[in-house]
Amino acid sequence: MTPGRGKGLGSRLFRVLVGLVYAFLMAPIVLIVLMSLNAGEILSFPPQGLSLRWFGALFANEAFMRAIGTSLLVATIATVASTLIGTSAALYVVRHAGRWREPLRLLLLLPLMLPEILTAIALLFFLYATGIGTKTMTGLVIGHILVTLPYVFTNVASALYNYDASIDQAARSLGAPPSVAFRRITLPLIKPGIITGALFAFVISFDLFNMSLLLKGIGMTTLPLQLFDYLRWDFDPTAAAVSTVSILLTFVVVLSIDRLVGLRTLRFG
Amino acid sequence: MTDTSLPAPPPPSAHSPASPAAPVPQRPPTGGRGFWLIAPALVLIGVFLVLPYLNIVVMSLRVPTVGAPYGEGFTLGNYTRVLSDPYFLGVLADTLSLGVTTTLICLLLGYPVAWHLARTTSRWQGVLYVLVLSPLLVGVVVRSFGWLILLSGNGVVNRTLIDLGLIETGIALMNNRLGVTIALVHVFLPFMILPLVGVIQSIDPVIETAGQSLGASRFTVFRRLILPLSWPGIQAGTILVFVLSLSAYVTPVMLGGAQMKTMSVLVVQSLIDNFQWPTGAALALVLTGCGIVAVVLYARLSQRWTRSVQP
Repeated sequence: MTPGRGKGLGSRLFRVLVGLVYAFLMAPIVLIVLMSLNAGEILSFPPQGLSLRWFGALFANEAFMRAIGTSLLVATIATVASTLIGTSAALYVVRHAGRWREPLRLLLLLPLMLPEILTAIALLFFLYATGIGTKTMTGLVIGHILVTLPYVFTNVASALYNYDASIDQAARSLGAPPSVAFRRITLPLIKPGIITGALFAFVISFDLFNMSLLLKGIGMTTLPLQLFDYLRWDFDPTAAAVSTVSILLTFVVVLSIDRLVGLRTLRFG
Repeated sequence: MTDTSLPAPPPPSAHSPASPAAPVPQRPPTGGRGFWLIAPALVLIGVFLVLPYLNIVVMSLRVPTVGAPYGEGFTLGNYTRVLSDPYFLGVLADTLSLGVTTTLICLLLGYPVAWHLARTTSRWQGVLYVLVLSPLLVGVVVRSFGWLILLSGNGVVNRTLIDLGLIETGIALMNNRLGVTIALVHVFLPFMILPLVGVIQSIDPVIETAGQSLGASRFTVFRRLILPLSWPGIQAGTILVFVLSLSAYVTPVMLGGAQMKTMSVLVVQSLIDNFQWPTGAALALVLTGCGIVAVVLYARLSQRWTRSVQP
């Protein structure tokens, strides 16, 4: 009954169905990339010839370029912060937490398990109540750090679990001070986990919408917000071009994770 | 990226951090040792996640007012107003039924794919994994924009159908429930497929052959053996997809138009457009409550069901 291998009608139908679902999963993304290369005036299908003119239009569009800048800035700050906080938290949970290990793990995964829109609402109320407000970038960045933290944490924690802590102890018993043991032994061994977590955090933050919608202040329009606004009034291939840029960014990151450490290490939670 | 909060299941093949195989610390835990390592994370989550969530409850009890997000004093009025308004209740029912349909379609489409992904020996398996994950890796606005291109009145699907002579004029594929459902199924399929791949990989293929050689039909083998054995994955996937679709915001806004409003859309409207924070908080909590009740009921019922079919 292993479908997909037999020659009967049933297994053929099975293969067609599975193929269709794979196609369904890919369709919107492939289509956007095709549309961005369209030479025509409108988002028409099939594209009327190939051209890069809409990427030219994108680079000439000040609002989009500013939004890309804002997104890169927020994503960079959030990634650096959540990498530092998440890595040290993973070190504690795996090495020192004892019987608190499981509760702490769940607590750190909490931002991932709660709906992003609800977290954003909660933060909006809270920032207002505490007077932090949304006039500065602080609230927005805190939201992004919260959401990206679990990705760094799980990736670093699984790297820590996968190597033998006795190597560290060997180094220490040979006289290495803890700081040296950490820098020379632990850090190189968990580096793949840190890199994967950080890259992933960057992509997540770059694409985050709900949090940014509710917490942004004036002049903090990130790329997803700008695209959302743009699509309300315009429906032309510039939007496809900017989407393609964002898709390319993601795939570059996924490919570099694959090259650097292998996709198998990618962890979602 | 969620509609995209990723409360994602562990990739099935990887070693789970929760697994008991993890090395036991050699030294007994010594309380405060290294506590500074986790302090920043605890402060972050405690102050900016736990407190704000508790604060939602407080906000939902505030008195609504004009000219400010909320007034002084407390009341239960927001809840009674929300729960007695037929419009809100209609949207709540729509949101819940949207969640159920999305979940069922994800299960029907996701199970065969999970089976294929778990059992395939193709060298393309890695590529197929990325393909299954791809909706999660692309931002929610970009993804919904892709569906706009496909489903709009003059979109790719309608054009193709007209060119093929199957329809005369474009049919309404979006700005209604259909469009939202299609786009939600697309983004939540990975959450269904990944846990299913995990359980299917753990089912020994010998079981199927054994069942069949004892004379059971394929269907019986599936119903009596495979389905109960896949149940943990089905349960994990369905709960995840249901909860995620209840809280989806961008997809209903972009593809639902005025016809298909969900609770999240109403909540954000009452926060940003109407500046009625207490109402928004009450709406959000009513939705959360309904979601929790639905999941608990479902878990209870399915527990009874698995006991009755347990081989």
